[in-house]
Amino acid sequence: MDATLLPLQAETDWAFVWRQRQFFVEGTWIAVQLTFFSIVLGFLLGLPAGVAEAYGGRYSKGVVRPVGVALRGTPILVIIAITYFAVGVSPVFLAATVALGLRSAAYQSQIFRGAIESVSGGQMEAARAVGLSKLEAIRHVVLPQALRRSVPGFQNEFTIVLKDTSIAYAIGVAELLKRSSDLYSIRTSAALEVFLAASAIYFVLTFTVNRGIEAVHRHVAIPGGETQ
Amino acid sequence: MTDISRRTYLKSVGGTGVALSVAGCSSILGGGSAGTIVPGTASGFPPFEFVNEQGELVGFDVDLLTAVVDETDYELGEWSDLNFDTLITALQNDQIDTIAAAMTITEGRDETIDFTDPYYDANQAVLVRENSDFRPSGTGDLADRPIGAQSGTTGESEMQALVEEGVVSESQTTAYENYVLAVQDLVNGNVDAVIVDTPVAETFVADRPVVSAFTIETGEQYGFGVRTNDDDRQQALNEGLQAVMDDGTYEELTRKWFASE
Repeated sequence: MDATLLPLQAETDWAFVWRQRQFFVEGTWIAVQLTFFSIVLGFLLGLPAGVAEAYGGRYSKGVVRPVGVALRGTPILVIIAITYFAVGVSPVFLAATVALGLRSAAYQSQIFRGAIESVSGGQMEAARAVGLSKLEAIRHVVLPQALRRSVPGFQNEFTIVLKDTSIAYAIGVAELLKRSSDLYSIRTSAALEVFLAASAIYFVLTFTVNRGIEAVHRHVAIPGGETQ
Repeated sequence: MTDISRRTYLKSVGGTGVALSVAGCSSILGGGSAGTIVPGTASGFPPFEFVNEQGELVGFDVDLLTAVVDETDYELGEWSDLNFDTLITALQNDQIDTIAAAMTITEGRDETIDFTDPYYDANQAVLVRENSDFRPSGTGDLADRPIGAQSGTTGESEMQALVEEGVVSESQTTAYENYVLAVQDLVNGNVDAVIVDTPVAETFVADRPVVSAFTIETGEQYGFGVRTNDDDRQQALNEGLQAVMDDGTYEELTRKWFASE
């Protein structure tokens, strides 16, 4: 049998986890990249979709709504399986990014729609009254306010995407959870330790980024609070 | 959804997939995808396939398939490491060309995919805790005991058979994502027995506080999976397999990966 299968029994399972930290570093890096690209893709598609749902005509709404409903109503495991196995997006990292990005776009569109609809109608009327076109009014008056209000919802979405990158395990992307399972396959007694270590990494990532987003929120908050 | 409509759906959607993945391959390789065999496996099944401490995919299946393909005119593509449950789907949708994952040739699987000639014989072992008094000597002794197996494997089929025979109830069975977790649950005392392929059971017996109580003689054989219409690759793999068995490579690999026997 291969020597790597029989680790020295003197070493504790936690020492094993520490010695194999490179596995976690690599897995974390993939998870971070997946999160980043999925959030960006979700933003690029989700913001226009949110605007379309708030202001769109019959046709733009007629396309955006059902697609959003379908994506939000389908389990992420099914979305990723269709993307990779049925549609055939390849390599696996791209397939995972597309699946997570589309699902995130569907959620982000609702975050932005909600924020846009929270900006009072009077703002739009005032903007049109001073001579802005509808598109200019959305861009210069409504969106700057709506984007600020969408930060808390966006914060939540970030956390969801980060943790859901673990679903990429199903198609063999070597993200954090896949790397963790590789590790406890080598040392079968360390399953609990490996899971705890991976959970700690997810926690540190979400905690750090959430604090960062909160700081951004404080920085961009509209002085004087909510305007109605 | 009925079986037929699902198949038609997969076919129509899969067609797009083929076009896309072929386009993807040719742009990377700068040529057609003919002449390659892209292998798929499911790691976490030592010593057949697992990721070692250097992060490399290794194991008996990996070495054997590499040696077999070396004997053919085909080139070995990059390994895909998927979940065991999804390997057949990946094969049918052309994401991979062959399955090398200690996959037992069963009638059910044979209806959807084809297999090469068998390359390994195995049975199912029943693992129990080392420090307990529970020592079943046959499936009858498992009556009303919580048991477990890995989802999608022959072990799970055997577990289901016990449910159908009325030996255990459905609620006493657990299917796990992989064997490591099943054995962990056995060690923790949440199940009293785990049904697993014999060669893998030996790895666990060496590493964990578990013993093999008895063997269910299933007389199963592992084969490499190929698509039903892919006769060229099937034939090439069969010839390659024959060649490595004849020239002693097979023996050498068995010694390398199953030396503890």
